[in-house]
Amino acid sequence: MILVGELALWVALLMAAWAATTSFAGGALGREDLVASGRRGLYATTAMMVLASIGLWTALLTHDFSLKYVASNTSANMPKVYVFAAFWGGQAGSMLFWGLILACYSAIAIRFVPLKSRDLVPWACGTLAVILVFFIATVCFKANPYDRLSFVPADGRGMNPQLQNPGMAIHPPNLYLGYVATSIPFAFAIAALVTRRLDAEWLGIVRRWSLLSWFFLTVGITLGMWWAYVELGWSGYWAWDPVENASLLPWLTGTAFLHSIMIQEKRGMLRKWNVVLVVTTFLLAIFGTFITRSGIIESVHSFAQSPVGSWFATFFLTATAVTIYFVSTRLKDLEAKAVLESMVSREAAFLYNNVVLVGIAFSVLWGTLFPILSEWVRGSKITVGPPFFNTVNVPLGLLLLGLTGVGPLIAWRKASTSNLKRQFAVPAATGLIVGVVLFALGMRDGYALVAYTLAGFVAATIIQEFQKGISARRNIHGESLPIAVVRLVGRNRRRYGGYIVHAGIVVLFAAFAGLAFKKDHDVQMKAGEAKELVDPLGHRWRFVSQGVSTSETLNRFVTAVGLEVFRDGVPQGILTSEKRQYFDSNKQPQFEPSTEVGIRPSAKMDLYVVLAGVRDETAELRISFNPLVVWVWIGGMIMAIGGLIVMWPQAERRRAPSGYVATLEPKRELAATT
Amino acid sequence: MRRRDFITRSFALGGAALVGAGALGAQQAVQGDTTASQSTSNLFDMNQGAARTVTRPPKPGARPSMNADARDGLEHQIRCQCGCTLDVYTCRTTDFACQVSPAMHRDVMALVEGGYSAQEILDAFVGTYGERALMAPKKEGFNWAGYLVPFGALAAGAAAVLVVLRGMQRGSARAEVPVDGVVVPPLGTADEMAKLNDAIRNDD
Repeated sequence: MILVGELALWVALLMAAWAATTSFAGGALGREDLVASGRRGLYATTAMMVLASIGLWTALLTHDFSLKYVASNTSANMPKVYVFAAFWGGQAGSMLFWGLILACYSAIAIRFVPLKSRDLVPWACGTLAVILVFFIATVCFKANPYDRLSFVPADGRGMNPQLQNPGMAIHPPNLYLGYVATSIPFAFAIAALVTRRLDAEWLGIVRRWSLLSWFFLTVGITLGMWWAYVELGWSGYWAWDPVENASLLPWLTGTAFLHSIMIQEKRGMLRKWNVVLVVTTFLLAIFGTFITRSGIIESVHSFAQSPVGSWFATFFLTATAVTIYFVSTRLKDLEAKAVLESMVSREAAFLYNNVVLVGIAFSVLWGTLFPILSEWVRGSKITVGPPFFNTVNVPLGLLLLGLTGVGPLIAWRKASTSNLKRQFAVPAATGLIVGVVLFALGMRDGYALVAYTLAGFVAATIIQEFQKGISARRNIHGESLPIAVVRLVGRNRRRYGGYIVHAGIVVLFAAFAGLAFKKDHDVQMKAGEAKELVDPLGHRWRFVSQGVSTSETLNRFVTAVGLEVFRDGVPQGILTSEKRQYFDSNKQPQFEPSTEVGIRPSAKMDLYVVLAGVRDETAELRISFNPLVVWVWIGGMIMAIGGLIVMWPQAERRRAPSGYVATLEPKRELAATT
Repeated sequence: MRRRDFITRSFALGGAALVGAGALGAQQAVQGDTTASQSTSNLFDMNQGAARTVTRPPKPGARPSMNADARDGLEHQIRCQCGCTLDVYTCRTTDFACQVSPAMHRDVMALVEGGYSAQEILDAFVGTYGERALMAPKKEGFNWAGYLVPFGALAAGAAAVLVVLRGMQRGSARAEVPVDGVVVPPLGTADEMAKLNDAIRNDD
């Protein structure tokens, strides 16, 4: 099976090249037979990529250490789940995994293209096949997981202990699913540009896949934060590392697109802007991969001296050039079909929101690349770490939070003063009350105060929108509250799913602001010794050391310290933190020792204990009080649920022409379509 | 577009792509040469030998210049040089088994005991390791570009959007000008339009 997989990889490369050639030729010559052949070539590529992946999984699970990849990333005594996850744990495997997802996505996207968009297929199929050629060629020539060693070691090097975590098993696949899904909108955008069929048809396909990408990126980023928090032990979840930034960039532009596409759907405006956002999202996904795979930027995740960087750079620049060419030559086809009627309208608010989202994306990209720029200009290396990103991005983030609440309150086309007063009165008052109360309670951190004030405002807008919709349903249909909620959301999934995503954003920002009150303490404790600390809410905590213990399990030696914990004199149980030294099947140590954090989560605050080391029977510990961290995960989940609701397919309702009738002077009737 | 223009543009774009790729590839090669170890895993390999000594003679009659909390705050501004990308305080108190951050911490403590202020200590680290010893670039000279360009870009973007929106609005106003003396009656009063908008809003 391993040999079959290796061969399948090369056949996949040929098939993808065939699919690209015949699809483009079929599209250019108008030959349906060539287009069909290209499509079949794409399906064959997918089948070959599945085989190639099965081959690598077989090699991993059977511990075939003759393969360099298997020997470098696994060992015989690793738990099976991590052996399976090692497929994407290293450079070559993750590239193959990327190719596998892209092939599957491509086959699904091309197979289910609506009839009315068939003209796009040759160009979309060809573009996807070209991307596949790039990825498969990179795997074959630069990062081949089937490369063999000149000898067969008795055991492998094993996986970095920090990757041996359930988060590792699920976080990278979600991110890859998100990154790769940006390829489909890009391919259809290119197809629409080539064929000049830039009307609403391609938008339907693009929107679905953009939502899918957004959903997986949201889940992947949240899981990545959770993994960093529980595994890396630095008591935080976001460090503005280039890899983290790389995942955020397409998420930001993708979010901008999902807002601005509504303006194109409803008003026929922003057509150029939407094409630019679609292709930028894909290009940022590729660029992010380049900066993290090339080693060009220092990162805790980086693949040092990886040979794929120059390939990615070439691909990125070529794709950018092709895109610029097509967009610049189709500008006339992308003229808006309607005009803006007011600067105070839903359309304008979405555009402001887009400017801020793209502005944040630019500032993240700028900060990530600034060390390189600085080195080029001044010749000296600098570090651009969290203090820089927080200085620049926190104000922008708060501006975005405010706009999250403003957009849904403003009417389409033109908002009247009475409309604004009616819509904003309660939310603005709520935000103000939240801010004043927190100030009166003693909160003095400026950014946190603004964040909670805006969070109160946005939360009130969401509640207000739900309350209006639910009241209307209950009045008209006489439904009970739960039924009204379910039907309101179920029958307006895009709108109310979007509000649920906004609710997740509010929760996230509230949780982020909690970090302003984080407290860290360094303590040294012998067995039986007690320490008292005060948390940011004024509770007194007492920690009694149970001493240091050692043990041995499947593939590691463990040094642990247990702390008996009391809060305001009330026992809270025992919290344990461990230092682990992993070893191979010959009991030889592998990697540096790692730490398992002791976490006592709660809605208000996490207690976070890290065993930094043991010296002379004395445990050196860091004890942190991290406010509201749980709400980061909850906020991420709420956003994902909202995304799922928006994405969930909705059967086309038969639309009666008389959804409502507005009677206008003098006795004119406007029947609006619903 | 004429064929000649297309060929010219294609060569220009292709050339730019190749030059850019070459430059980035070269940058990557330089970066790669300075990397101490090879890795196929996606977590960094620690450079345990990166610590250098940062010492200064104690000031006459020196007393500790700050308490432990302030010192920890200062260490949050100094970057560990092991490659972890964390600050000294965070790195030395977590699980990277780093030998670099404890060494840097000892230097910080010695300088604090020697009576040096926070700024003097930061300057001492910059003198030894270069500006990359800091977690964020100093707000001076070219570094201001790092801090200000994002806001400048946002302001420029917002201004551009406003100009475009104004232009679209003017286009909208022109579209409402009567043609050949034909007066187009308004669809409704402002209040009626607001009612209609509310009705449409409830259906989106």
